Amino acid sequence: MESALRIPVLETGRKSCLHCQTEYSAQSNSLFCCKGCETVHFLLKGRGLDQKPKAIQEDLSYLDDSEFVQSYATHESREMLFYLEGVHCAACVWLTEKLPDFCPGVEFLQLNLASGVARVRLYESGSFAQAAREIARLGYRPFPVKQGQSDELRKKEDRKLLIQLGVAGMLSGNIMLLAVALYAGASGALAELFKWSSFILFLPVLFYSAVPFFKSAWASLRVKQVSIDVPIVFGLAVGTAVSIVNLFMGSDQIYFDSLSTLVFLLLSTRYLLKKVNQHALNSSEWAHFLAPAKAKRFIGHSSKTETVSVNLLRPNDLIQVLPGECFPVDGVVVQGEGAVNCSLLTGESALVAASPGTAVNAGTWNQHSPLIVRVVASGPKTRLNRILASVESSLRSRAPIVAYVDRVGQAFVVAVLALAVLGFFIGLFVSGVQEGFQRALAIAIVVCPCTFALATPLAISLSIGRAAKAGILVKGADVLERLSQVRTVFFDKTGTLTVGELRVSHWDQFSDGAAEALMALEIRSAHPIARAVQRYFQGRFEWLPEVEDFREQPGKGVSGTIRGDRFEVRSHPSLDQTVSTRVGLFKNGVIVGAMTFSDVLREDSKSSVDQLKAMGLHVGILSGDAGGPVQDVSGQLGIQPGNSFSALSPEQKAEVVKGSPFTLMVGDGANDAVALAQAHASVAVQGGMEMSLRVASVYSSQSGVRSIPALLVLAQETLRVIRRNLVFAVVYNLVGIAVALSGRLDPLFAAVLMPLSALTVFLSTMAGTGKLRRAFR
Amino acid sequence: MSILFLLLPVALLLGFGFLFAFIWGASGGQFDDLETPAHRVLLPDSTEEFKTGEKRHV
Repeated sequence: MESALRIPVLETGRKSCLHCQTEYSAQSNSLFCCKGCETVHFLLKGRGLDQKPKAIQEDLSYLDDSEFVQSYATHESREMLFYLEGVHCAACVWLTEKLPDFCPGVEFLQLNLASGVARVRLYESGSFAQAAREIARLGYRPFPVKQGQSDELRKKEDRKLLIQLGVAGMLSGNIMLLAVALYAGASGALAELFKWSSFILFLPVLFYSAVPFFKSAWASLRVKQVSIDVPIVFGLAVGTAVSIVNLFMGSDQIYFDSLSTLVFLLLSTRYLLKKVNQHALNSSEWAHFLAPAKAKRFIGHSSKTETVSVNLLRPNDLIQVLPGECFPVDGVVVQGEGAVNCSLLTGESALVAASPGTAVNAGTWNQHSPLIVRVVASGPKTRLNRILASVESSLRSRAPIVAYVDRVGQAFVVAVLALAVLGFFIGLFVSGVQEGFQRALAIAIVVCPCTFALATPLAISLSIGRAAKAGILVKGADVLERLSQVRTVFFDKTGTLTVGELRVSHWDQFSDGAAEALMALEIRSAHPIARAVQRYFQGRFEWLPEVEDFREQPGKGVSGTIRGDRFEVRSHPSLDQTVSTRVGLFKNGVIVGAMTFSDVLREDSKSSVDQLKAMGLHVGILSGDAGGPVQDVSGQLGIQPGNSFSALSPEQKAEVVKGSPFTLMVGDGANDAVALAQAHASVAVQGGMEMSLRVASVYSSQSGVRSIPALLVLAQETLRVIRRNLVFAVVYNLVGIAVALSGRLDPLFAAVLMPLSALTVFLSTMAGTGKLRRAFR
Repeated sequence: MSILFLLLPVALLLGFGFLFAFIWGASGGQFDDLETPAHRVLLPDSTEEFKTGEKRHV
């Protein structure tokens, strides 16, 4: 075969490699310049990876609906944001940004690789549907993203914080240079110049860069709370006042260098923290593409359908829902017979039969055959959204825990004030009122809240960032603290501990040819049981017998005639149904085969549960499913029967979670959402509902529960690092306070001690989380 | 050392020049996305160039 492929010798007398086009010696017999290229080439070809990505078939015409465009597009309806699924690398940027070359009407496409969001701008004549179709043809699935005003505001805030940081960095650097000259002994007119210059340079730091601290300190004082920003602002104000007074009095006690460096360090941490949190999860962006945004609506009384955005559906519209699609609205079936998977709302794994007159809910799945549904409620009026609204309001009403840092911060403020009073009296006792004030102020300046303000957020943001890289998105700084306190872990069963789909776990054949007959029948059906059979027997048979008179009865089974014999697949009273689903194959009414279906455990469930138990945690199951399957799973995982609860409604799940302290709830379905919101901490696992993603405090993009033990270890270790930093800070502050109380504090001492203490806690944090990173893989 | 009276303002002026350049860049959104532009610069300018592997001579 390879001889047919002959590489031409180039004019240069060399050949060009088939894979990388590098020129190489014509003497070589190979088609490639090197062994590496050859290997890669055949690896790609062998796996079919040299083919173009498969185009995604999807009806996107709803993108051009005028109402849709109005609510999603900006810039005079010419610009829209799309989240592109499957964007990974520089080549994706290149490919997608070439869109204007082959799609007329597109002015430009700009992709943000980190977030996967592309900005598409059209000319007057352009069409969003056309552009999205072209993007889909490239192999990226486009989801329109609504541009909220909040996003614009956030961007502006980000830029402002960055500028504040830049200003503080430049100015504090220059002030430090001037301060070094002063410490080295500059005197006379030069010293005056340096002092006044550093004062002038300090003003923008105080009145521009430090504004976020003033704002948040004020906000916390207004609600009668003491946040960590209060001691920062206090120290900053006192330090500035003292320095200005001393500047006018011609004294050397000015602290502009220490103060501006402090502002710079604190701002950098805050900026870092903000970036990490934004990267982790932006729930407002998620919500838009998780919900099915479109539906097939019948036009008038004809049998034609058009694809429209769900927002445009009105009650009494007729829509078509194909098998495998999610119902976009609450409605009533008017035509078709089928089965509905309601597990997201009820947690039950068994299917519910649907026929004309059956009510169906948004968020449930049509499993079986096409249904025509009359819309009853859409948008916020659906049952799904009503549950969501109640969950969100319960989330808001929950009392926020006072974070560790804030509690310590409050004690800190009290301690500083007490010490300042103490310093005042010591000074008063030693040499009068003036000395008393000086020592009190010295304490306010030298005491550095850097651990709470700097190292703690840093440790938390590094851990959150670490988790995000492993695919676990932690939604906030206090979540890690909650996680470190967890004592009981409750898992949802279906979809979380188990795969969430039926598998054939056992097949008994009582007569020859039964398996072929079974497969021949089931291959014609799209029922979950049929799919499980298809998977089980896939590739097992060379040929399948002909089936005549095939019939499928929703909720009952399938039947057909094979070589004159009537075969039926259905359940049978003699088959034990308590533990798992069992179905029989009947030949002319006589049983010839039986199979057991169960929802199998994920591979990693057992080891994860064992790890959690080894950590000394209680593990339990909360399931909406029937008792049999739940007992089966808890038996396999070694969970005490007393800790596994079955047949629970969403509200009962929440009751159990509320009943025990410090619980971690892990789930995925809408039926877990209430419990997720009520638990001390909660994890929504991959494949879950939008609602559970929104209310849970952690989202794991890995399916299954493998990440849970690692996440808990991470949280505990992070808190340990924070406590260690606290010890360092106390030591440094004690030294500073002792010096200040004795009245020997001078600017040089402050300028050395403050950055040194900040540096120590910084290094301790980096070392601590570094060790953690290795442990966390 | 009197030269310092001249050098200090000059040095600060230089520093402020860069600071304003930074502020101009940040408020124009140049720091919004720090990842993609680094990749974009490596990509060929045109589809032709990508196919032939040759740089167009402009």
